[in-house]
Amino acid sequence: MEAADLLALLDAQQFRRLRVIENLLRGKKTVSTLYWGQRYRALYLVGLAKKLPRGALDAPAQALQERGLIVTGETPDQVRLTEKGLDAQRQATYFTPLTRASWNQIDLMAARERILLAVQVVSQYAHAVKRYYPLATGTQTRQAVRRWFYQQAHSSLSEQMFDSLKESLNRLPTQVAEAVTALFTGYQQPGQTAAQLAQAWQYTPWEVTLMQLDGMMQIALDARTTGPLTSLLRPTWQSPVTRSAQQTLAAVGQGRTLDQIAAARGIKVNTAREHLLEAAILLPLTRFPYDDILTASIRQAFAAALTGPIDSWQYTALPEALQARYAFFYFRLYAIWCDKRGEQRA
Amino acid sequence: MLEPLTTSLEKVFGFHAFRTGQRNALTALEAGEDTLAVLPTGAGKTLIYQLYGYRHPGCVLIISPLLSLMNDQVDRMHMAGFRRTAAINSLTSYADRQAILQHLDTYQFLFMSPEMLAQPQMLARVKQLPLSLLVIDEAHCIVQWGPDFRPEYLLLGAIRTQLQQPLTLMLTATAGQTTRHEIAKQLRTRPTVVAESVDRPNIFLDVEQVANEPAKQERLTALVSQLQGPGVIYFSSKQQATDTALSLQQQTQRKTAAYHAGLSSEDRFKIQQQFMAGQLDVICATSAFGMGIDKNDVRYVIHYHLPADFESYAQEIGRAGRDGQPSVAILLYASGDEQLPLMLGQTNRPEAETIHRYYARPQAFSEDDAAIALLAFYRRHGISEAAVIQLFRRREKERNRALAQMLAYVREPHCLRHNWLLAFDEQSAEHDDHCCSPAGMPLDLARLGLLAPTEPVTEAPVADWTKRLRRLF
Repeated sequence: MEAADLLALLDAQQFRRLRVIENLLRGKKTVSTLYWGQRYRALYLVGLAKKLPRGALDAPAQALQERGLIVTGETPDQVRLTEKGLDAQRQATYFTPLTRASWNQIDLMAARERILLAVQVVSQYAHAVKRYYPLATGTQTRQAVRRWFYQQAHSSLSEQMFDSLKESLNRLPTQVAEAVTALFTGYQQPGQTAAQLAQAWQYTPWEVTLMQLDGMMQIALDARTTGPLTSLLRPTWQSPVTRSAQQTLAAVGQGRTLDQIAAARGIKVNTAREHLLEAAILLPLTRFPYDDILTASIRQAFAAALTGPIDSWQYTALPEALQARYAFFYFRLYAIWCDKRGEQRA
Repeated sequence: MLEPLTTSLEKVFGFHAFRTGQRNALTALEAGEDTLAVLPTGAGKTLIYQLYGYRHPGCVLIISPLLSLMNDQVDRMHMAGFRRTAAINSLTSYADRQAILQHLDTYQFLFMSPEMLAQPQMLARVKQLPLSLLVIDEAHCIVQWGPDFRPEYLLLGAIRTQLQQPLTLMLTATAGQTTRHEIAKQLRTRPTVVAESVDRPNIFLDVEQVANEPAKQERLTALVSQLQGPGVIYFSSKQQATDTALSLQQQTQRKTAAYHAGLSSEDRFKIQQQFMAGQLDVICATSAFGMGIDKNDVRYVIHYHLPADFESYAQEIGRAGRDGQPSVAILLYASGDEQLPLMLGQTNRPEAETIHRYYARPQAFSEDDAAIALLAFYRRHGISEAAVIQLFRRREKERNRALAQMLAYVREPHCLRHNWLLAFDEQSAEHDDHCCSPAGMPLDLARLGLLAPTEPVTEAPVADWTKRLRRLF
């Protein structure tokens, strides 16, 4: 992550916390991280850089601050673009992935690994090469691709791969198609690294990675229904919501109270509430039973007490009587509901 | 009665004859003798245990020090047709490890890191295996890396005893008498030694003294511009490897890339493959690069930093000229360069005072500190304070001796090869024009035939993406 990458993720109105962005990238999915990730419109980043070291954004942030592009808020961890920073962001024409809204519906890194290995295997197969160094992947990917390959291997496989990849990449900007194919490894093509491509094109390596992921997502989206990769990628599709949270959500759908759910599943009520918040954040407005939990009277009570931008709301600033009546959970859920409705209108 | 060795060789590899070292090592192993094979890089050490494993039932267990290398090794085994091969180390994911453990007894070749094998549960599982051969790869690491880097290597002797002293093959490219003796002692065996000369007559040796760091950079750039590639430049720091790769690319029109352990495995893979495919002229590397690189036509190896000892130096320059064609190994030295290896040697090495305080109150120290983690390791293995202090003292002495030897090489006025070979208890042939040029003597690249052709570099046209995609399938 370089300064330019961070710049693209910041805002001129909203103070954004570096730690939240870092945790999103590292795939640390606490409710608080997810909530702010949603507020920053940055949930597509979840788990994209699991090996990012702690504090990796501090140096880029400092670089931006030294150039007068950001200011810090109450804590040095909170940063916001200055006017100059906003200008810089607008002029940077930083790459924005077109498919990012779908990224949380798939294990994108796993899908990426499968696609890259499949491309290599089919490419070598197309040129009748039997012995070559395969890309280093986990055993699971290797076995899945092997199984897939033996089911698919026939004379027209390489043609099908070419056609379907070409079709998918055609839907994306040329630059993305260029990046995706340049990064592919296959017959007599070791493939460029993201850093090499970034250097040649004057992008950042992270930007090139985002282009590649955009391509991978498009390929996966197209393979959902037809094409040679359908069966290989099917297992990588997943709900963004954890299994545990899904279970809690399903139980609510069956009309049980949180106390009942907690008792039945041997979890704390608070955990059940966290499950619901997670689901509310990650699912579209229509797929969460807001009406059952956040009843009209609760909404009215909050609406009367909360004004101004969502990010300025504070639970502890609410009238004590309201706090006594409604736990933090309802306050946060109300904020999510408002946020999603706003997003829908926008 | 087993078929003759050459019959197996033909069947498995399609070769008609062994190299001398391979034959001697295999013959010793077939006679049931533990064997220490000191064979230069490129002599085909892997073939020895591959062929032994092919000829004998049971499992060949290979202890390998470099985690990043292990998966490469497994891939190479697969390439060579040995499918029942797996590797377990700390980088292996939990799921992968479980899968491998479930089928542990079906593998013909098993690669393991020393720390993985040192875990009691793993050791218990390995004890159940019918081991045909135990291989200690890069055995010089027992001496080089032991006390202040990879303490688990020191446990290998005890582990070997626990495994009922299986037939053992120790492999290394470079080991002088002291190192050989130490390897045998650590592994509690008296092996048959099969050694070939470390000398590589086709590698011209060169030492160049430069005034300071900027002068060194300048000289490096000049060399890379003039030299016939491909080449490898070794650095002691990842950052410097990365920065230099970039600046060389800009200043010399050579295609360069950095390679070090900080890269993702995907990037390391791609850069290795690019280098092998001839798409790169220069690799700026740390010591992470090299073990297991099969590229025959490397024309030069330059050391930007002073290596810590002759063993590493011999390993690294050994990557040049495997095709037997003229090549050159250049060591750039600015006075004071020995400070870096000295300093790197100090990291992780606790003072006697710290050792004393740690043993008095171990719970007061955090094991996040690498030096403390090391002490904790020794303490848990029942090594006394006095012994630990002694160990570090001896190690430091050994390190200083090795560095002094390196410096003597740098300052050698007459014949570098003579100086170098002497460190491995070997004699050199009479010095001549094709031998070496010590510091102060000019390096005549034209005479060595190592000047790059002067025609302009033609950039391959960049195909558009559909064409590139077409070429893949």
